Amino acid sequence: MEYTYQSSWIIPFVPFPVPILIGIGLILFPTSTKNLRRMWAFPSIFLLIIVMIFSVDLSIHQVNKSSIYQYVWSWTINNDLSLEFGYLIDSLTSIMSILITTVGILVLIYSDNYMSHDQGYLRFFAYMTLFNISMLGLVTSSNLIQIYIFWELVGMCSYLLIGFWFTRPIAANSCQKAFVTNRVGDFGLLLGILGIYWITGSLEFQDLFQIFNNLIYKNEVNIFFVTMCTLLLFCGSVAKSAQFPLHIWLPDAMEGPTPISALIHAATMVAAGIFLIARLLPLFIVLPPVMNGIAFIGIITVVLGATLAIAQKDIKKNLAYSTMSQLGYMMLALGMGSYRIALFHLITHAYSKALLFLGSGSIIHSMEAIVGYSPDKSQNMVLMGGLTKHVPITKTFFLIGTLSLCGIPPFACFWSKDEILNDSWLYSPIFAIIACSTAGLTAFYMFRIYLLVFEGYFNVHFLNFNGKKNSSFYSISLWGKEGRKKKRKINLLVLLRMKNNEMTSFLFKKTYLHKIHRNVKNITRLFFHSTKMGTIKTVSLYPHESDNSMRFSMLVLVLFTLFVGTIGISFNQKGMDSEDILSKLLIPFIDLLHENSKKIADWYEFFTNATFSVIITFFGMFLASFFYKPVYSSLKSLNLLNFFEKKSLTKRIFSDKIINIIYGWSYNRGYVNTFYETFLIGNVRKLAKFNYFFDRQVIDGIPNAIGLTSFFMGESIKYAGGGRISSYILFFIIFILIFLIIGYSLFIY
Amino acid sequence: MNYFPWLTIVIVLPIVGGSLIFLFPHKGNKVIRSYTICICLLDLLLTTYAFYYHFELDDPLIQLTENYKWINFFDFYWRFGIDGLSLGPILLTGFITTLATLAAQPVTRESKFFYFLMLAMYSGQIGPFSSRDILLFFIMWELELIPVYLLLSMWGGKKRLYSATKFILYTAGSSVFLLMGILGIGLYGSNEPTLNFELLTNQSYPVALEIIFYIGFLIAFAVKSPIIPLHTWLPDTHGEAHYSTCMLLAGILLKMGAYGLVRINMELLSRAHSIFCPWLMLLGSFQIIYAASTSLGQLNLKKRIAYSSVSHMGFLIIGIGSISDTGLNGAILQIISHGFIGAALFFLAGTSYDRLRLLYLDEMGGMAIPMPKIFTVFTILSMASLALPGMSGFVAELIVFWGIITSQKYLLITKILITFITAIGMILTPIYLLSILRQMFYGYKLFNTPNSYFFDSGPRELFISISILIPVIGIGIYPDFILSFSANKVEAILANFL
Repeated sequence: MEYTYQSSWIIPFVPFPVPILIGIGLILFPTSTKNLRRMWAFPSIFLLIIVMIFSVDLSIHQVNKSSIYQYVWSWTINNDLSLEFGYLIDSLTSIMSILITTVGILVLIYSDNYMSHDQGYLRFFAYMTLFNISMLGLVTSSNLIQIYIFWELVGMCSYLLIGFWFTRPIAANSCQKAFVTNRVGDFGLLLGILGIYWITGSLEFQDLFQIFNNLIYKNEVNIFFVTMCTLLLFCGSVAKSAQFPLHIWLPDAMEGPTPISALIHAATMVAAGIFLIARLLPLFIVLPPVMNGIAFIGIITVVLGATLAIAQKDIKKNLAYSTMSQLGYMMLALGMGSYRIALFHLITHAYSKALLFLGSGSIIHSMEAIVGYSPDKSQNMVLMGGLTKHVPITKTFFLIGTLSLCGIPPFACFWSKDEILNDSWLYSPIFAIIACSTAGLTAFYMFRIYLLVFEGYFNVHFLNFNGKKNSSFYSISLWGKEGRKKKRKINLLVLLRMKNNEMTSFLFKKTYLHKIHRNVKNITRLFFHSTKMGTIKTVSLYPHESDNSMRFSMLVLVLFTLFVGTIGISFNQKGMDSEDILSKLLIPFIDLLHENSKKIADWYEFFTNATFSVIITFFGMFLASFFYKPVYSSLKSLNLLNFFEKKSLTKRIFSDKIINIIYGWSYNRGYVNTFYETFLIGNVRKLAKFNYFFDRQVIDGIPNAIGLTSFFMGESIKYAGGGRISSYILFFIIFILIFLIIGYSLFIY
Repeated sequence: MNYFPWLTIVIVLPIVGGSLIFLFPHKGNKVIRSYTICICLLDLLLTTYAFYYHFELDDPLIQLTENYKWINFFDFYWRFGIDGLSLGPILLTGFITTLATLAAQPVTRESKFFYFLMLAMYSGQIGPFSSRDILLFFIMWELELIPVYLLLSMWGGKKRLYSATKFILYTAGSSVFLLMGILGIGLYGSNEPTLNFELLTNQSYPVALEIIFYIGFLIAFAVKSPIIPLHTWLPDTHGEAHYSTCMLLAGILLKMGAYGLVRINMELLSRAHSIFCPWLMLLGSFQIIYAASTSLGQLNLKKRIAYSSVSHMGFLIIGIGSISDTGLNGAILQIISHGFIGAALFFLAGTSYDRLRLLYLDEMGGMAIPMPKIFTVFTILSMASLALPGMSGFVAELIVFWGIITSQKYLLITKILITFITAIGMILTPIYLLSILRQMFYGYKLFNTPNSYFFDSGPRELFISISILIPVIGIGIYPDFILSFSANKVEAILANFL
């Protein structure tokens, strides 16, 4: 066992040969390396499996006997500065490394298929492995500087992978945005680290916590300065975990390939911020205002993410906002001091969200063959619909992921989310109300995705004539903004009379035809056949189910989603005080809220709480199905709709307005982006312009002016002394005249 | 212990070897090229050999000394010697100059003269780093100006005469202050002029006089380093010069200013330095932000990189101003690190200019597909330049930050202020560097020019980039290698301030 710990420094280094060999191969022997490209997937997966076995072994040790193992080497030795490298193995590390490796392996298997036709297949694997290395390094690091180093490396990998398809201008913009936003966080992190070092004189976690707590208890430090430093540290994880003010990069990060979104932007890297807070929790916990701040940021993010998710039309962006919201839950849990639950939710969410992303990747993959490779089309939920028939397996998997994320009992996220909601009641009722209602919202937007994608008809072939949202009852449009515009009613006869050719051209106009009167939906089937002939020339009319390796990784994730909840469920039957695995792992776990009340997982209490949260969830699901139910089935509820519709017109307009406002807010990403663009970026641009001007005109102007004046002086002197006798005589006479005048005037006085 | 004149040989060999180029028959450039590279390599190997076998790192004193009387009546000696401070820059000079010569292979116009100038630069650059006589230092300092001027004015871009004139006026103007300072120091006090560095270290002056000397030297080195507001020669010069010249300018010449600051301002005028250092630090942190944000406003690729050099030099100034062991070590590490990174960035900018014939970023785009190798190397170097961990830039900047924090001299508020301002530079740096990448490589573009086929970098260019990348990453992973050169010397210098 000791040996296992001793050799665990190797964890981050095991996959290291892969990116190096790929890099060397690509530079020196590009053709042969590219020919053998599929070969490269095996070593990267294999090495990661080794790491996984290793970390499973470590965590079994940790479950049996929770201990902290630390080892350091010195990196730079100086008199004042001794930076050390080392590794720290504790329960947190082992959990995180299992998480990273399992999701990593599955995503690698998945992307072998997903990326198989991509030009940059090898590059992709190199980046992915590099990311895994940095992430493993991050979780095993033993001091703050090491954390910072891997923190940045992870950010760089994310940059490279978001910009993976570098020919897309949007991807280029988003990867820069992601890096710069993360750099803002790193700025805070670095300053925080420096400040903490200045206060405590140490960087090792254990020493740091001890010294820090001593200082706080003895009241030897300026509390304001300490709070500032910890807030700056928190700033780092705000950026990385896409919390409120710095969340803007995450939705844009979806420009990267979908496996990346699953691994980096849903499961692991964005969890790094949570990890950092969890790691440094002893530091934060002695400062209650900071903890409150963390909880506050968490709850804002929860709400913001959930509200922004309700009107996205891009499936991946939608999932990204949901990730943001879930990360907010974790942050909230941390802010409440529930260390264990935050990590529990981190794990469950990672598997469920990875499953969802892989599922959406599978959908996108199958859509791409039909609508083309533009993310505007292949990820657009408007064009999807009715995929149940075509991709049944993916549908099942996706549904399981959705149910899990919504918090339906047997699935993973239910257990953790329920606990977070419970704890939030203990913490503060206001936060609890917000968190609970957001749980309903989560169910709403998740089911919105599910219904839009899998129910109804396949919309590509008649993108403007789909039955979705055509009822005049609500003006909500999938296209968000356009919903506000005036509805246009199309005469049914005109449509019927149209010829195929005309309709083809009609299809690609972005008109508002999708808001045709409800009657149209009765004849959509009719249209369907006519358009099919005219427009589609591709081989496949309908999306295909994805290949086995993709399904395999999704299947494993489904299993995780089903069963990972068990590690956090406490089975204390028969009065035995057996704790769940997670609590065993996190023996020194810090729990602010349960300090007083003995932790009895009373079944009754549990049931009441669970029922409450499940009811909220079902309410959200019901709302979603009410709004987004596919047309044909909504015919049944026509009476109900009509019943509502009969109500007074003014009321309807009012509710329409509210809905429009919500959709506008959501569609425009809460106007945060616009705000940054106008105020921050605009000002930086102005500053740059001004500086450039200043530099050119003022600072450079001085030497230029000196040069010019000396040039003119020289010229004039040259001209004056040019050797022309006439000019000499002229000067001579002028000066004589001047002297004469002076002499004369003197003489007069 | 060892009387073989290693340093003299190292310094004289390139320029003598270079003047032999003119005796070559006109048989094309190939011979001249390989001859020049041979001389460069030989010199680099000689330097390495001499340092490896005859230099002891533990000893903070001057080693490999040479002392020959040159001009009798005012005690002028041909006096060389190196210590830990100059070891790194000399090796850097050898390395970068060799690579720059290799990078200059496409130059065909007046190649004899060109290569002679490159070799003359070689001597002129090692000279100031290794001279132990302050007047000799000045002479060597001036010696390297003339080749740069000629390289700039003959092989530069469109506005080369303007920039060359600007360069020579700025540097010659600063040399006036340098000369006055040197004469002032040398002639102060005794009947006989003292020009020896060792003797000067122990000399003390009245405070007012010391401050005047300090300002004089500061102006001289501020032009070279450059420190704002005396930096405007640099973007013009870099914008116009051929990229091999740029490599020398960014890699080595800028470092001479910083070296001079440490060598003369810190070592000889320590009292004035401790008066001035808070202002230096403020200036440095302001410079980082100012130059970074100016760089954002630039559209010219080379000028943008030039401003990034100016911005990075800010860390040097902060490190020098922090008067702490760590800070000064960081500054020295930054000298080496930026020497590599700056040179490599200019090299890459130059090579891509050679292919595209475009200098303005808004006209470029989509170059990643035709030139993936340049794209890769450029990305890695941009990352190095924005201080990504694992590369040398990060270690240098981190140590400088550490220097600010651990410095005993300043109040907490000052430290917080300076750290904060400096750290803002951390946000600005990736913005302009990644914008370069984005505008040059990302996206797609249909090239309508008839000659729209681009070569990716060939083996020679790849070799140059990789041989710069290796030390960059190497230092990033194991910085002790460079720190061990100078650690003892830094302690000795800082002992003056206690």
